[in-house]
Amino acid sequence: MSFTQIARSCSRLAATLAPRRVASGILIQSQASRMMHRIAVPSMTSQLSQKFGVRSYSAKSTIEDIKFRVLKVVSAYDKVTAEKECRGRWQTQLVRRYSAKPPLSLKLINERVLLVLKLYDKIDPSKLNVESHFINDLGLDSLDHVEVIMAMEDEFGFEIPDSDAEKLLKPADIIKYVADKEDVYE
Amino acid sequence: MAQVPLAIVSHKRQVCSLYKRALRNLEAWYDRRDVYRYRAVQLRARFDENCSKDLGEGIRLLACGQRELFETKHFQPRNFANSAGGCAFEREVIPPDWVLDYWHPLEKAQYPEYFAKREQRKKEFVTWWEKQYGKPDPKDLGHH
Repeated sequence: MSFTQIARSCSRLAATLAPRRVASGILIQSQASRMMHRIAVPSMTSQLSQKFGVRSYSAKSTIEDIKFRVLKVVSAYDKVTAEKECRGRWQTQLVRRYSAKPPLSLKLINERVLLVLKLYDKIDPSKLNVESHFINDLGLDSLDHVEVIMAMEDEFGFEIPDSDAEKLLKPADIIKYVADKEDVYE
Repeated sequence: MAQVPLAIVSHKRQVCSLYKRALRNLEAWYDRRDVYRYRAVQLRARFDENCSKDLGEGIRLLACGQRELFETKHFQPRNFANSAGGCAFEREVIPPDWVLDYWHPLEKAQYPEYFAKREQRKKEFVTWWEKQYGKPDPKDLGHH
């Protein structure tokens, strides 16, 4: 029986006693004895359980045991695994940055640009290189180049005006342009 | 301001621009990706069929295409967040670097190290500029 339960029973006992302090004793006694019964019986059962050797964790464990168990659970929770990285990353962050962009580095931009280009059906992935020219090396025409630029806009989420788009003739140019736009330099 | 025509635009660039705007217009009309792709392939076929025509015919077709695009324009086109018409257009205003030069001296005195280094950098930039482009003509200095 926990302390809160005992306290609650006691307070109810007090509440039943209080208004009838001046009234006749029989009713009070019967009520009080009922409440006393509710307090007393569970404590008796807990004594019985101790006597017959029922396992009681709180009685046996020392501070060190508790500390060890808690630290074990916490360290298992804190351990970084691939699964936890994928889902629920923002739940474990102390500060949630709602308007932050995904992290970008030159390597990430490179990978994303090349992936978009590889998935484009008119480009042969085996010929694709960072320095390969879209029109001369990869054999695209100007309308295909427009489609490539539109795919890059969709990938990185900003508009590339036509005057800039006509200068982006290599994947390396696109990477440099995106890095300049997003202020990425390493 | 990249859309303001500042120079004579070639026919090829106009066709490419029309193609891009027509694709974005289709994207605004058909939100299902597969439906959009079907329409986009049809549009591409229409462009490809006219690619070998001569310039006069091409100019006429371009005018027809621009009129058709104007007539079928979406009433609420999708825009990128940071481009004109987008939800975050000009939301973040980054002040230019020269604003720091107009701080009050008392304000500058609160960051003495930074402003000392800044003055040093300005001197280095002037030397770099003179090395790159030569000494400026004394007639060009000043407003008049």
